[in-house]
Amino acid sequence: MALLEVEDLRVAFGGSTAVDGVDFQVDEGQVVGLVGESGCGKSVTSLAIMGLLPRQSKVTARKRHRGGVTVSGRARFEGKDLLTLPRNEMRKRRGQELAMVFQDPLSSLNPVVRIGVQITEVLERHRGLRGEAARKEAAHLLDRVGIPDPTRRLTEYPHQLSGGMRQRVLIAIAVACAPRLLIADEPTTALDVTIQAQILELLKDLVDSEGTALLMITHDLGVVAGLCDEVNVLYSGRVVESAPARDLFARPTHPYTVGLLKSIPRLDLPIHEPLHPIRGSIVDVIRWKDGCAFAPRCDSVTEKCVEGEPALVGTEHAHRCVMAEEIA
Amino acid sequence: MSAETSTPTSTALLEVEDLEVHFPIRSGVIFERTIGAVRAVDGVSLSIGAGQTYGLVGESGCGKTTLGRAVLRLEEPTGGSVHLGDTDVTALRSENLRRFRSRMQMVFQDPLGSLNPRHNVEMLLAEPLRVHRINDRAEQRRLAEETLDAVGLPTSVLERYPHEFSGGQRQRLGIARALMLRPDLIVCDEPVSALDVSIQAQVMNLLDELQGEFGLTYMVIAHDLAVVRHLSDRVGVMYLGKIVEEADSEEIYENPRHPYTKALLSAVPQPDPEVEASRERIILKGDLPSPANPPSGCRFRTRCPWAQDICAEETPVWREVAEGHKVACHFDRFD
Amino acid sequence: MTLAKIEKLDRLVEAGVEARTAEGGSLWHQSLRRMRRSPMAITGAAIVGLFLLIAILGPWIAPHSSTAQEWGDEVFLNRNIFPGPRAENWFGLDHLGRDMFSRMVVGARQTLLVGVVATLIGFAAGAVVGGVAAASGIFGGRWGQRIESVIMRSVDVALAIPMLLLALSIAAMLGPSLTTVMVAVGVAQIPIFARLLRGSMLAQAHSDYVMAAISLGVPKSRIVISHIFPNSLGPVIVQATLVLATAIIEAAALSYLGLGNPDPGSAEWGTMLADAQRFLAGAPQLAIYPAVGIIITALGFTLLGEAMRESLDPRLRREQ
Repeated sequence: MALLEVEDLRVAFGGSTAVDGVDFQVDEGQVVGLVGESGCGKSVTSLAIMGLLPRQSKVTARKRHRGGVTVSGRARFEGKDLLTLPRNEMRKRRGQELAMVFQDPLSSLNPVVRIGVQITEVLERHRGLRGEAARKEAAHLLDRVGIPDPTRRLTEYPHQLSGGMRQRVLIAIAVACAPRLLIADEPTTALDVTIQAQILELLKDLVDSEGTALLMITHDLGVVAGLCDEVNVLYSGRVVESAPARDLFARPTHPYTVGLLKSIPRLDLPIHEPLHPIRGSIVDVIRWKDGCAFAPRCDSVTEKCVEGEPALVGTEHAHRCVMAEEIA
Repeated sequence: MSAETSTPTSTALLEVEDLEVHFPIRSGVIFERTIGAVRAVDGVSLSIGAGQTYGLVGESGCGKTTLGRAVLRLEEPTGGSVHLGDTDVTALRSENLRRFRSRMQMVFQDPLGSLNPRHNVEMLLAEPLRVHRINDRAEQRRLAEETLDAVGLPTSVLERYPHEFSGGQRQRLGIARALMLRPDLIVCDEPVSALDVSIQAQVMNLLDELQGEFGLTYMVIAHDLAVVRHLSDRVGVMYLGKIVEEADSEEIYENPRHPYTKALLSAVPQPDPEVEASRERIILKGDLPSPANPPSGCRFRTRCPWAQDICAEETPVWREVAEGHKVACHFDRFD
Repeated sequence: MTLAKIEKLDRLVEAGVEARTAEGGSLWHQSLRRMRRSPMAITGAAIVGLFLLIAILGPWIAPHSSTAQEWGDEVFLNRNIFPGPRAENWFGLDHLGRDMFSRMVVGARQTLLVGVVATLIGFAAGAVVGGVAAASGIFGGRWGQRIESVIMRSVDVALAIPMLLLALSIAAMLGPSLTTVMVAVGVAQIPIFARLLRGSMLAQAHSDYVMAAISLGVPKSRIVISHIFPNSLGPVIVQATLVLATAIIEAAALSYLGLGNPDPGSAEWGTMLADAQRFLAGAPQLAIYPAVGIIITALGFTLLGEAMRESLDPRLRREQ
């Protein structure tokens, strides 16, 4: 059985739809990628799963947010729908069974609290460790994520650490309770390439040794290729292609995936190979219920593309393109 | 680095010689004292031929942005010289410098932040003309329309404001503004890193086209090795204020000699699981040391997997290991 | 590719583009549009609008004279008889037998005048001080930075003086009059505006578009005037609205202390409040009308100012 099963997840902020029916699943111990560009709904998806979107009741009276955030669909974690879970139960799971690592490690840490306190806090709340035991475990965790001299680091403040170190601390906090699922939202985007390599290595190692499932949210197809077992490509709030990583990169089917792969410069291809950009920009979309949102930018567009909602076709390697057979 | 470094070719447009930018670290509330310096750029020499693209690659904090700005005199160099054509840019003073700026321009990383939010496109594009005494309205309009056309924007956007555009279009605007004065040199500081993946290629192709159309010389500063490789003829790798390796683009990626270049290249994830599975990674330990207090000898030694005793004692010589391929490392092979 | 397909696609894309370009226009337009959707802005604007209307039309809409002691014989100070609201005099009579309602209506203009002029004095002088400090700090080199720090230290000193004390000493120097109140309250606001504008300008000076302007060879003076200054005004204008509210209260306070218009006949809310103090025990309504007037007006400007700040700075709103 899947560890996390997301079905027809929809999130709207007032009138604008951010996530428009996303389906995917994460199996036990699996690394699954959610890939897409800004505005495709990948981050909102993760926030919805974590229950971190403001609930309707809390919404202010401002008209722009009229109706506030509406979330619908299902996100079953071990069979239980996280979207309808009472808040206090969700809070219990968060941190313990589900944990999240964010893009910006500096703003995710409290700047005026020592690293050690921020880690032991989690250990106290979720694992009931106190005093010396908690401190020992915290040092052990820092050591585990590859921070040299962990006992000294415990007494330092976030600003005393480099970006890479901070991200390691956040990962340490996230894995403190040995969660079943770790969600990483662009965890290396703010980091330099050599530091990114360190962090990716660490994540890979954690997944391999602890059996934690990882939901990797990123825009970087290179990161996906190196890390993920399964990949879901998002465009304009929906999954347009979903396949095992090797399959996806070997036989990309949806024109958007194909276009992305053709448009990025690569180190492993001959130099000065011309790039083939996707035309237009992400604002050139049509609504999914009118047709394929990617149609305005697609080179293989035909009239079939704007005849109603395209469905996700296929099981192992699924795609949402009515023209897929003809293009291939 | 010593002065014998660069061999200026006769067609070099930009000639940077031993450039230094040190930022003083001051302390004290009432009586400020200088207690040290951040050596952001610490003796860099390079030359760019007319119509060529020089790629400067390195991680954040290596000084590449400061170097780019110092070349344009947007940051005051504390030593060394910059020549653009026959002009010693570092010697220009106030009004002369201001006038000379029409020959060298910059494209910024953040396309929205670099455009005045209260100016519409017409004002944005006319400003450089006005300050350089092209006051004829019709002429301004003609140049603006011509430039918009060159960067692939319709002339109907003249009345619109920066926030009404998408990221890619904004970067096109930024490029258009830099082009208005038809400069010789454009320094592009991370020209695509703020853009979405599918848009990056559009802007890179545009930069390519414009180079041919307007005979531009580029200095492209980026952290993304693939972007630099794609755009550049020659590439310099920067680490902690110094260039540690420089070669033609093809050569440096095929045949990296400096351990830092090797590590950088090996760290870039490739969008291909097959390649990824077999890729050999050199994972560097630790972080960038402080540029206020760089390590002795070779600056990279604290993170270098092959560091020996000599690396701490002697500064490696900037030497040519193959034609046009220079490197600052004591060793030739790493086993 | 058939023509029919392209038409439909274009239509669909256009529908989306239209929906988005409704959000277009300059930053000011956008702010205005956001404000029209904010209940706070609407309430504030309604109060301020009503106040303005009364201030402008006051003498024409007042049912009676504000100075004539028409009902002087109905007021008995020693017996504490002040006729209250009645059909003819909606707010009753004051201690000299004048129509209270008419005095409130006519007094609005003076009150507004004091608030606006005082704020303008503070704004203009503060903008010059802060602008000069920021400009010399940003582009003046070493000497400029010294000038800046001298100016700003003086501003800090001025800020440390309690506003009422400062206003009082100025009022004492100039002698009691309406002008005194305006100048005193205005001068007291200068340091606030100066600090705010300088801070705002320094923040803008580090933005990329200023760097871009430098790299284009735009002269320094022009960068300050056409790039940095206009982009720094937002918070200062918001502050002006908020200051207008405090200025009205301050002016009332100074009038109350007897530093305002010495002409006992003139109607001004602050002076009215001061006059009412003698009869507070017997006729509190004489104080309540002008006090409530001042409070509501100040509230109106404050609401408007807060709404403006939110709409000018959408980031602030998202964080809330």
